[in-house]
Amino acid sequence: MRSDWIIEAKNLKKYYGNFCAVGGISFDIAAGETFAILGENGAGKSTTMRMIACRSPISEGNLTVNGYTVGADDRKIRSVLGVVPQENNLDPDLNVLENLIVYSRYFRIPYEAALERSRKLLDFIRLSEKAKAKVDSLSGGMKRRLVIARALIHEPSILLLDEPTTGLDPNVRQEIWEKIDDLRSERKITVVLSTHYMDEAEKLSGRLIVLANGKIAATGHPAELIRSRVGKFALEVREAKGVPLANVDHSITAVSRGSLHIYFGENTDELAKLMPQYGSRPMILRPSNLEDVFLGVIAS
Amino acid sequence: MIALSKVDVVDSLSVWRRNSRVYLRLWKTEMIAPVIEPVFTFFAFGFGVGALVTSQIQGMSYLAFVGAGVLAFTVLMRVIFEVTYGAYFRMVYQSTYDAILATPVNAESLAFGEILWAVTKGVIDSIFILPLIVIFGAASSAFTPLAIIPLVLGCIFLAGLGLALTAHVFEIDHFNIFFAIFFSTIFLCGAWFPVELLPRWLQIIAYAIPTTSVIDLTRAFLTGNFAGRHWIEFFYVVAAALICLEWALKSVRKRMVV
Ligand SMILES: Nc1ncnc2c1ncn2[C@@H]1O[C@H](COP(=O)(O)OP(=O)(O)OP(=O)(O)O)[C@@H](O)[C@H]1O
Ligand SMILES: [Mg+2]
Repeated sequence: MRSDWIIEAKNLKKYYGNFCAVGGISFDIAAGETFAILGENGAGKSTTMRMIACRSPISEGNLTVNGYTVGADDRKIRSVLGVVPQENNLDPDLNVLENLIVYSRYFRIPYEAALERSRKLLDFIRLSEKAKAKVDSLSGGMKRRLVIARALIHEPSILLLDEPTTGLDPNVRQEIWEKIDDLRSERKITVVLSTHYMDEAEKLSGRLIVLANGKIAATGHPAELIRSRVGKFALEVREAKGVPLANVDHSITAVSRGSLHIYFGENTDELAKLMPQYGSRPMILRPSNLEDVFLGVIAS
Repeated sequence: MIALSKVDVVDSLSVWRRNSRVYLRLWKTEMIAPVIEPVFTFFAFGFGVGALVTSQIQGMSYLAFVGAGVLAFTVLMRVIFEVTYGAYFRMVYQSTYDAILATPVNAESLAFGEILWAVTKGVIDSIFILPLIVIFGAASSAFTPLAIIPLVLGCIFLAGLGLALTAHVFEIDHFNIFFAIFFSTIFLCGAWFPVELLPRWLQIIAYAIPTTSVIDLTRAFLTGNFAGRHWIEFFYVVAAALICLEWALKSVRKRMVV
């Protein structure tokens, strides 16, 4: 056991009635690390994050956050956690600034300090002009940024981001990533995020786990996973329905998914040799990525 | 374990302040309603029905009798709406509870704050309506301001009951059943006519409903006619309030923490 693990989960399970949503997972997250949880819809990402946030009681296993036990010291844990839930839950009865001020009270932050922090945070997410605006009048990206700001009002040491950029346009996503980067470098904040976007996981996370049906299907650094699970490069052929997969030796892995054929290998020359047999079908030779790993893990 | 013991009052007050902030923003509309309703209820029951009722009721005019009914009915209605539709909106449509529960505030303190707020609204309404009652000549006792005591107990009882039911409601239309029952019972509870006029079996039902005791106690303070039964009614309402309060806190945890 390392002393700087800030989150430690051992054989964590969650049942909703008889349904097992998380089926015994173990992982450790170090202080200052950015840790991603990947997985298909319903894999158990949100459930796991809600258990870390002491929002959903654990059914079995052990979970400690910041040295405190989930289920026993929930109040202490929640006071150092910033939570960005999957669904925005801003208060439509309050304006933008009030959303931050009212939230700060739940953390017992004195009004003066709350006001100062709120103004700084609105500055940070570039919403200062909207301080008096109704929440309903904000765009999706603005709402998301405000939820993130709200999660930071009590200067948490751990930030839980459940699909922080789902449904947002590429610019806004880029912007949110920058903000997360700022937070990490300025404050050594620990970030736990769930995502469906492989680029997000690759860009942000140090280590990740892939959940499938409530179990850990893969774990490691993105680069490591790509290296160990698939080759360095991928040849992707489309509209290949009815064409048999090429015979390849064991240095290349061949996968067919519907009308898509993908070959993974360590060098481009070998993969390029396969191209002529597909004639004029659309194809692309590219570096393999986390998505390949993800789809491979989910398929297996 | 007793859910009430898990309440952190400072946390509850933070929830209370969230609601009061929203209320203050809408104060104009929020404060006109509680005045309009009882005025017209007085027109209808005090003058309209009162003109037909020439006999004395429990030694008083109908107008004096119905004052407590108008007051309690208006105040309790306010509370009921707050913990049913109001709370349901915050709980389900606006996910306000969900956001609050991600902070150090626990489910019990949240529920207690909601009840505290509903009771506060009842008290604000009482403060508006009590002078009206005096103006209409429906309160004669020097104890009139103390009518706030049974009203607060009644508010806690119905706020607890209402919030507990809300925590069990998964379809907003189910409130219709609840309101049908509530409106039916309120006619039994001695707001508009004495319970003693009912057949024996209905009287028993009426006295089993704590609202009857709330109205009878309120009437005692407005008219200054106290009797021994009022002590029993008082403790009955206190017990009902505590039980429903506890039930509400437990129900909100069961609904929200899964
Ligand atoms: N409150 C609940 N009651 C019953 N079942 C639930 C509840 N919440 C989640 N589940 C179930 O638990 C499983 C895991 O859900 P969870 O929300 O953790 O998935 P997820 O990985 O976050 O999915 P998504 O990518 O769609 O957000 C799903 O099958 C879901 O239907
Ligand atoms: Mg989810």
